[in-house]
Amino acid sequence: MAGPEITWYLIVSAILFSIGTLGVLLRRSPLIVLLSLEIMLNASNLALISFARLHGGHDGQIFALAVMAVAASEVVVGLGLIVAVSRRRLTLDVDSFRVLRG
Amino acid sequence: MIQGAWLCLFAPLAGAFAITVMGDSITRRTAGWISTLSVFVAFAGAVVSFVGLLGESPGEREHLSTAWTWLSTGSFKIGMTLLVDPLSVLMMLIVTGVGGLIVLYSIGYMDGDPEERRYFAYMSFFVFSMLMLVQAGNFLLLLVGWGLVGLASYLLIGFWHERAEAVAAAKKAFIMNAAGDATMALAFFVLIWQTGTLEFAEAFVGAEGMSSTLLNLVALGLLGGAVAKSAQIPLHTWLPDAMEGPTPVSALIHAATMVTAGVYLIVRAHPLFELAPSIQDLAAGLGALTLLVAGFIALVQTDIKRVIAYSTMSQIGYMFLGVGLGAYGNGMFHLMTHAFFKALLFMAAGLVIHHLAGEQDIRRMGGVRRVMPKTFVAFLVGSLALVGIPPLSGFFSKDAILASALASGGYGQLLFAAGLLGTLLTGLYTFRLFFVVFLGRPSELVLQHAQGSHGRPEEEDASRTHGKTAHGETASHGEGPWTMTVPVAVLTVLAVIGGWLQIPDVWHPFSDWLHDVAEPLVEPSVTQDLVASALAVGLGLVGVGVAWLFYGARSRELPRVAGVRHALEHKLYFDELYDLVFYRPAVWMAGVWRRTIEEPLIGGSITGVSLGARRAGGVLGETQTGYLRSYALAIAAAAAVLVVVFLAVQ
Amino acid sequence: MGNFLVWAVWLVAAFACLGSGIAVVSFTNAFYSALALIGNLGSLAVLFLLASAEFLAAAQVLVYAGAVMVMFLFVIAYLGDTAGLPFRGGGPSWVSVGAVVAATAILVEVVVAIGLKAGNALSSVDEIESSFGSPGEIGRVFLTDHLLAFEITSIVLLIAAVGGVILGTRTRAEDELDAQGAAGQETYGRA
Repeated sequence: MAGPEITWYLIVSAILFSIGTLGVLLRRSPLIVLLSLEIMLNASNLALISFARLHGGHDGQIFALAVMAVAASEVVVGLGLIVAVSRRRLTLDVDSFRVLRG
Repeated sequence: MIQGAWLCLFAPLAGAFAITVMGDSITRRTAGWISTLSVFVAFAGAVVSFVGLLGESPGEREHLSTAWTWLSTGSFKIGMTLLVDPLSVLMMLIVTGVGGLIVLYSIGYMDGDPEERRYFAYMSFFVFSMLMLVQAGNFLLLLVGWGLVGLASYLLIGFWHERAEAVAAAKKAFIMNAAGDATMALAFFVLIWQTGTLEFAEAFVGAEGMSSTLLNLVALGLLGGAVAKSAQIPLHTWLPDAMEGPTPVSALIHAATMVTAGVYLIVRAHPLFELAPSIQDLAAGLGALTLLVAGFIALVQTDIKRVIAYSTMSQIGYMFLGVGLGAYGNGMFHLMTHAFFKALLFMAAGLVIHHLAGEQDIRRMGGVRRVMPKTFVAFLVGSLALVGIPPLSGFFSKDAILASALASGGYGQLLFAAGLLGTLLTGLYTFRLFFVVFLGRPSELVLQHAQGSHGRPEEEDASRTHGKTAHGETASHGEGPWTMTVPVAVLTVLAVIGGWLQIPDVWHPFSDWLHDVAEPLVEPSVTQDLVASALAVGLGLVGVGVAWLFYGARSRELPRVAGVRHALEHKLYFDELYDLVFYRPAVWMAGVWRRTIEEPLIGGSITGVSLGARRAGGVLGETQTGYLRSYALAIAAAAAVLVVVFLAVQ
Repeated sequence: MGNFLVWAVWLVAAFACLGSGIAVVSFTNAFYSALALIGNLGSLAVLFLLASAEFLAAAQVLVYAGAVMVMFLFVIAYLGDTAGLPFRGGGPSWVSVGAVVAATAILVEVVVAIGLKAGNALSSVDEIESSFGSPGEIGRVFLTDHLLAFEITSIVLLIAAVGGVILGTRTRAEDELDAQGAAGQETYGRA
């Protein structure tokens, strides 16, 4: 194929995935955590597309579409939660949700 | 006949079971009648067996009846086996006959006690256990009966369990009997080891091949059990304390039946004892020692029941003396007559106690004759029989034993002398009791109860005895309800005529009856019989006379030999000795073990386990931080590890 | 020449993707993070195109960058100042260290895995037709080979929609809080 080989796509996907992981684990605002989660999902989408291109089958792309749909649903629910939390005048800080401690 | 024996055994058990199961739904009186009826049915069964045996010729009178095999390991089998032979039928008749009369008497004596049903269930259970003991066809069932009568004794001594003394006495009796049970069990172990069986006949045959040391051990073990159960020295201290139980219990268990089980055991196992003659001599010696010691102690007792208890101990000493020298028939004869007159004495004493609303101290009694003339007669008959005055029953049986002692060589003659001294003592303490209680002017207490005013006395006495109520029948009603007076009357008659079953050299159906079961080792000659009788009666009358001097006419003061009196009042310090030698070391050792082993090791390990679990839980709980980010980190770390795993697996 | 162009476009898109990713994670202002994510999604769409997934590139821009990110921006606007929070402060430090370690570990492992496979399976790219990633092809595969995935995905979307509506309803407690005014903020749980 023209351009870089599949390997390069996969490396980009891996780096993007780790960036997303760092964002999820290091940020305290739930909104930013959701954004980082989106990055992780997109990274895996990229990997799926690349493998579909490699094997010449459509399965990877279908999977990526499904992932996109699920990610969108998850964002809906996550944003709904964040809005509900803020409506109760609670702090939007992931570290302050410690009820499960113990 | 066999069915008669099975009926005899199980009727009292059925009675006890029925009373227990029906509980509160039957009245207390009904419980008493159920119990009495069950024992009389057992008596009927015993009579049937007896008649059946009578019809057979002497050589055939041994029947073993096995209901099922109870225990079977390898070649060792034990069956639920009953033995119907002259000896067991004799004991069955005594136990159920005298027992039935006593249970009937209890209906009147225990009337008004709130826990009557429990009492009667226990009494029926006791009769069953005793029958199991005497009817057992092998040593193991005998041991079962042995243990069960110990249990029944414990339950009945401690019947009034709110009294601390009763509970302590019950424990004491049970523990001392347990020592005897242990020696018996050891003897049985040796028997099984050497002969491989516990059936009577086979064990006796097999025992002939055992070494003399082992035979002595077996006999000693059996003797240990007999000594504990029959309250002979050195295991005798429980019997006086056992008087804490109700008087009918004392009559039945601690006079007529259970305490005679030791004598029965020796007669039943006499082949084993004959193979270990030194142990048999030891038994006779212990009997002689006991009859003297008990006689001396009885001289200074002030509780009416305790005097009679020591008298029982003494008379059983006579029985041990007899069977220890091989006079099995005479020993059993004395067992039977003793059951009659001792139960009579206890029951007559019970009539007095019942009339005086629970008072048992003879120093507060006196002149009871005026108030209870019929009881006076009954007690007199019993006392005369006990001392051995002809033609009452005790005369024939006790003198037969003494004659056998005289005929048994040097050792026997030494014991004969002891036995003669014993008759002097018997006359002395028996009639001391009789004169103090019945003769003279009525004491204050007696007068109070004669007029039927029982407001105050019951309160004073309630602290000393169980709160017995209803002696509703006042003096005008006679000396007690018919349920109490009729058995006393029956036993009075038996105490008179019971001895006429065996008049030496004239007719002896009794010893003939037992001859095939236990052939006596010694047969006294006519001369020896007459000599023994003359000396015994003479000394007995001397004892009565001395008692009259000091207690009857109250003409002389008692000689004060302070040290002796003190020692006798403390029962020769046996209790203190046992306390020092057994009780204190045991308690000390238990304390030591509790501190060094129980608390640190066992208690500590249990708490250690729980503490460790809690600490582990606490540590694991640290992982539940509650931070979302740490949970997410855990997932990420796990993913990292898994990637490595997948790579490695490829 | 064509190859060079492809390479150039690829490099630009890749760097833009990674750069905007780092930007998303680093900005304190949530608005800027969301904008950076839009950039990320755009560059990813370019990469999809280069990998012959045309339909997916279009879907990415339309759905993700178009709808999802707009939703994000609406919420950020609603939340206002409370939306973004920096890294540290509060929470245990070992989480931060562990996070960096874990992320680096994953990256290294995946790169190693790719490296191990390179030269074998990853070098032989299959030949494809020109209509490989076209909507027609995707549609056909969706409705024949992967029909089940299609149906389940639609159910998931339905559930999310219902969930979103439920989460969005106002409760009485919130009305009371509004009535009290926005006086102070409560903290939640045992901090």
